[in-house]
Amino acid sequence: MNICQLVLKQMRQRALSTWLTLLSVLLGVALAIAIMIVQREAGAMFGQSDYGYDAVVGAKGSRLNLVFNSVYHIGDPAALGTIPYSVYESLKSSEVKWKLPMIIGDNYEGFRVVGTTPALLGIGEDGEPLAAGRTFEYRKDRKLELSAGRAFSARKFEAVIGSEVAARTGLKLDSVFKPSHGAVATAAHDEHDESWTVVGILRPTRTALDRVIFIPLISSYAIPEHGTAMEKITEIQSTAGHDAHEAHKVPASAAASPATMHSAAVADEHAGHHHHDHEEVYDLLPDGSIDLHIPKSDWRLAAILVNTRGTLGMGFMWAINNRPEAMAVSPATEMRQFFDSFLRGSTTALLLISLLVTVVAAVSILVSIYNSVVARKREIAILRALGATRLTVLGLISLEAALIGLLGGVAGLIVGHALAAVGSAYLEQTVGQSIAWLQVDWREAGYLLLVVALAALAGLVPAMAAYRTPVATNLVAS
Amino acid sequence: MGFILHELNKRFIAPDGTITPVVNIDYFAIAAGEQVAMAGSSGSGKTTLLHLIAGILAADSGRITYDLGDEGKLDIAGLSEPRRDVFRGRHIGYIFQTHHLLSGFTAMENVLLGMSFSGRKPDRAWARHLLTEVGLESRLDYKPQKLSVGQQQRVAVARALANRPRVVLGDEPTGALDAANAQQVLGLIRKLCMEVNAALLIVSHDPAIIGQLPRRVALSEINRAAGSTTMNRSVA
Repeated sequence: MNICQLVLKQMRQRALSTWLTLLSVLLGVALAIAIMIVQREAGAMFGQSDYGYDAVVGAKGSRLNLVFNSVYHIGDPAALGTIPYSVYESLKSSEVKWKLPMIIGDNYEGFRVVGTTPALLGIGEDGEPLAAGRTFEYRKDRKLELSAGRAFSARKFEAVIGSEVAARTGLKLDSVFKPSHGAVATAAHDEHDESWTVVGILRPTRTALDRVIFIPLISSYAIPEHGTAMEKITEIQSTAGHDAHEAHKVPASAAASPATMHSAAVADEHAGHHHHDHEEVYDLLPDGSIDLHIPKSDWRLAAILVNTRGTLGMGFMWAINNRPEAMAVSPATEMRQFFDSFLRGSTTALLLISLLVTVVAAVSILVSIYNSVVARKREIAILRALGATRLTVLGLISLEAALIGLLGGVAGLIVGHALAAVGSAYLEQTVGQSIAWLQVDWREAGYLLLVVALAALAGLVPAMAAYRTPVATNLVAS
Repeated sequence: MGFILHELNKRFIAPDGTITPVVNIDYFAIAAGEQVAMAGSSGSGKTTLLHLIAGILAADSGRITYDLGDEGKLDIAGLSEPRRDVFRGRHIGYIFQTHHLLSGFTAMENVLLGMSFSGRKPDRAWARHLLTEVGLESRLDYKPQKLSVGQQQRVAVARALANRPRVVLGDEPTGALDAANAQQVLGLIRKLCMEVNAALLIVSHDPAIIGQLPRRVALSEINRAAGSTTMNRSVA
């Protein structure tokens, strides 16, 4: 019978105590591991720098809200302002590699509907493929791909849907659907009259894009309520234009966002103004194309994703930020700041708490084994009488403690990752982005070693008690 | 392998500073394979003497010299505690008055435990043979609490022989048994010691046991400290 067998035998002998001690280690480690994964993945998710674009242009206002809405498709689009379409047109190809306009504000069964151009999938307004390097990339060198169907036409009521949308709503190719007002689903459905046909389904990207329904920009403008709202915004801004002082009092964000276009339209309607119907906003040509009656000067955008040529030049940012109606933000910088300001501190505090829990678990090992040593003095004396040295006895007890630390640690590692898997599934459902819950990094390995070392250290106290156990006394005393 | 005790002394110091000599032996020897009974009453220092011979306790002075045959002679009184432990694990078998089996281990495991510190590989066949010899071949997987007192002491005998010792020490090894069981267990101890050619030293106060062994010694005759104490337990 070797030392390991002896230790396992001892542990089995005190099964309940061993299991409870293991459980306390397991819980402490699982908590710490789950927090480490959350911290790492939150850092990766929000602090990533591998966006396929280096700037987001939107209305002046909350920079973070702009990134949340345009990159992660979360947050409140109603608080997001709009910019004139002319800003988009003013971004010259000499300045930018590619640009993708976005209008946000409707949903279908809680999934966001985003109006954009077919450049999303590398197709030009004319339906022809774009030149290399002009296609939208959601990560560096990663373009959207279709798992079925084709890109939507720029001027038709067609849609391309994310993989998660397809899986969760049951929409498939040729499905027809009607979006509702607002970026989130509400109890009171307020469907638009217009219907869109699904013509393409995207491959999973493991990003928020999996939860988005993309429609042509023009089809979004063709919604009468949107048209009315855009007219209203233009009206407000032109009035403000007459009086510079007044203009300062009407920030672009307060004017209206695509999400508030409907509100503006409804307010307008209540005020007794006439209301557009679709015949006034657009005509439907025989081939299904939209002939939009709203002039481009009235078009509004929520955001433009921009890939500048090479490294994002300060000049580009400066130029945009000095325009009265728009601002440009770097998503990488914004999210890094957000992570450092709000997430890192809280997760570090949580991590410290979980480390304290680990120490408590180590103390429980100490108490449990110490009690067992006190109860087993006669057995220890017998082992000594059979030829076990004091060091052997010390090793036996320390090994038992380290083994509890190791088993509890490994089980905690597995449970911690399982917790992260649950969190990943939840995140995928809510923000459409999963986390790499299976990945074990050096920090976790180091922590596991620390747990084993801490457990062995905790075991040293009872081990020393065992080491000092006098043989003769304990043999005779029993 | 036998052993010789030379001018062996052990005394205990009580908490109040009183010094009590427990062992004071000028000379005592046992030859290889010899079987000796040592008679001693309570408090005569017999357990302390066995602990000294086994290296569990360190002597205050004197020598405990083992004849290791080809390997020469070794005075374990001059060894450090860890080396005495290793020596005990390799060469000495010890049978206590109470069996001192580990309650969570089966009969087989308790016997294997006797080999664990011998520096040799566990020999299950030898353990099985010993348990068969003591009549427990059908009780190999029984834990001590499922065995009778007599059976428990037989397991203890098998365990003491597990490391093929050169010397077996018995401290009232039949003290907890009834007369019939005591005779049986003593017979087994003697038989197994002869099988492995181990010297046997049994200390007892029972004339019926002492009378069974070929050589008999009164502890009071060799231990000048015998009777100087009424201690009934040794102190480490």
